[in-house]
Amino acid sequence: MTTAYRHWEILERSTTGPFMDEDDFLPKRFTPTLKKLIKKYEIKYDPANPCPTDDAMADRIWQAAWDLFRDVGYYNTDSHRIMQVSDQEIKEALYMSNDRYLVGGGKDAVLFQHRQVEDKKTPFCIMSPDITCDEKYHQSICMAYLKEPLLDGICGPILEKTFGHLIESAGPTEISGCIQHIYNQKMAARLLGRPGTFMVAVGTAEHDSGQIAVSDDNWGVQKTDARLVGSLTEFKTADTLLNRSLHYAQYGGYTGNLTGAIYGGWCGGSEGTAVATVAYSLIGLIMHGAIFNQHFPFHLNYGSNTTRELLWSISMAGQALSRNSNLLYTSNGFANAGPMTEMLFRETAVHAMVSTVSGWHLWEMASTRNKYRNRATPLEARIGMEVGHAVARQGLTREQVNEIANKLLAKYEDHAADAPMGCEYHECYDVEKAVPTQEHYDMFRKVKDEIAELGIEFPY
Amino acid sequence: MSLEELTKLVEDGETEEAEELAAKLLKDGSDPLLMIEALTKTMGHVGDLFAKLDIFLPEIMLAGEALAGVVKVMEPYLDAVGGQQIKGKVILGVVKGDLHEIGKNIVRLILETNGFIVKDLGYNVDPLTFVKEAEAMGADFIGASSLMTTTMPRQKEIIEILIDKGLRDKFKVIIGGAPTSQMWADEIGADLYCKDAKSTPAALTALLA
Repeated sequence: MTTAYRHWEILERSTTGPFMDEDDFLPKRFTPTLKKLIKKYEIKYDPANPCPTDDAMADRIWQAAWDLFRDVGYYNTDSHRIMQVSDQEIKEALYMSNDRYLVGGGKDAVLFQHRQVEDKKTPFCIMSPDITCDEKYHQSICMAYLKEPLLDGICGPILEKTFGHLIESAGPTEISGCIQHIYNQKMAARLLGRPGTFMVAVGTAEHDSGQIAVSDDNWGVQKTDARLVGSLTEFKTADTLLNRSLHYAQYGGYTGNLTGAIYGGWCGGSEGTAVATVAYSLIGLIMHGAIFNQHFPFHLNYGSNTTRELLWSISMAGQALSRNSNLLYTSNGFANAGPMTEMLFRETAVHAMVSTVSGWHLWEMASTRNKYRNRATPLEARIGMEVGHAVARQGLTREQVNEIANKLLAKYEDHAADAPMGCEYHECYDVEKAVPTQEHYDMFRKVKDEIAELGIEFPY
Repeated sequence: MSLEELTKLVEDGETEEAEELAAKLLKDGSDPLLMIEALTKTMGHVGDLFAKLDIFLPEIMLAGEALAGVVKVMEPYLDAVGGQQIKGKVILGVVKGDLHEIGKNIVRLILETNGFIVKDLGYNVDPLTFVKEAEAMGADFIGASSLMTTTMPRQKEIIEILIDKGLRDKFKVIIGGAPTSQMWADEIGADLYCKDAKSTPAALTALLA
């Protein structure tokens, strides 16, 4: 059960909570509280172990995150007031939360359920390019992702134009682009014989009006699908975001909470990034009524999360959530390199193995720092999901994954700043058939074999 | 008590102590121009540390606040010796529809600590507001940030409004933000694409040369 039954009481705090100037919220409230909690709970980053095994620290991170959320609250930039909840309300929401949901429809419905650290249950695999694409490639890219065997859910690429017009947030072009987006995605699923595939849609919507425009069980985002509501970094929201969570709850689909704590920003280093990431799951559950949380903590300079300082945060946050709650949460990879590069395959594999063994579900893969149009393909997502399945089925431990991750990191982490941009979708995929080129597939196979030699037993 | 101690206090973000020490140094006859030179060097060092993430955003923000406090204390002394050297005036904001401002705030800080006067319009700023504010300020630059692809067109609208009002040559338009690129800057006719905060002061200075 979601916390929708408390939605109005929570929303009311936007107008009744304590006033604070927005300029003061982060420097005077968020960061000082976070720093104190990191010290109090003795949370310490260990660069030698991107996939640590410290259960006690994972539990302390959970407690620090709880305290952070309770003490700092959630700032509404429209009302300039802080929405706060009590320990009692956090406990109630966690008690009422479900550890599993059946998502998607008909024969394509899939069970999305809580995972343990080192769980043998395979991760739920949401595939997404996360980037924007040219209008002419949109449907092909959707189809290419839907051809992936391990896909449990899809989030399609973002449109920049609709019928040749640049999409502008909150304008009519956004409404049109959002409808075009979901039409393409649903048509691709139907043509491929997976019409009930679970969808997280639509990424083209930046404004609430775009999301609300596509709520339709016949042609749009269905109640078996999910939509995301984001937070503003860090711990801030706005009416346009709260509008979304209310609409999603009333419409009746699944809500996901989308957050990316920034390493190097107001969270500080790896410790603060881990604590904030866990706290965001509580925000998602209680403030937005989310059934799952989609986290993409990232590096302020690189815009990625495949280097060790971020992998540590991801691993510890996953372990903290897994050991102390029954929540659902996906780990969203952000890579430095672009498609059809060996570096991107390695980055994705490391992100997926560390996340999987730490209790996460997977959301792969934003390539090329999630910055460049058309620069993402399903093949990098495929390697991530295959690694995730293998790690779980094989029952690898955190120690084993840590060792493999360190070996792969040695091959790419020095190139985080100057990572190759690789190719665009149409340069490494057959656009009409929506399949990878032979050259691209061969590179995928080569890196997969290299990973297998390190001890990952792929089922096929 | 020395200039070295003052720069250390600024680097550590100790605003009140730095202000007190600056006042004392000035009263005791320290050269304000030498002080500014040393503080600028310190902020350059702090900027370098931040660029490598040897320190994080809260630390550089505190150092920036401390510097601003010290400069305020120094203003009368600087005016007496011919005033501060202002490298340029900038109108800065995040475009309409976009609520993400961390990148813009870092750019503001880096510019301010490098001799630029910045008026920060915040986020979700209408394109016409950028233009009106730039006219009112007599700005050299209009800086527009965007974090979402669907808000990037608002950067283009600023340039279109400037053209329509016959003001395009009056202001240099600089753009930045995660989804923007040199390609986008070229496409919309912006004068400069800022790929990161650190290189922005030098790039702006070069544009005015």
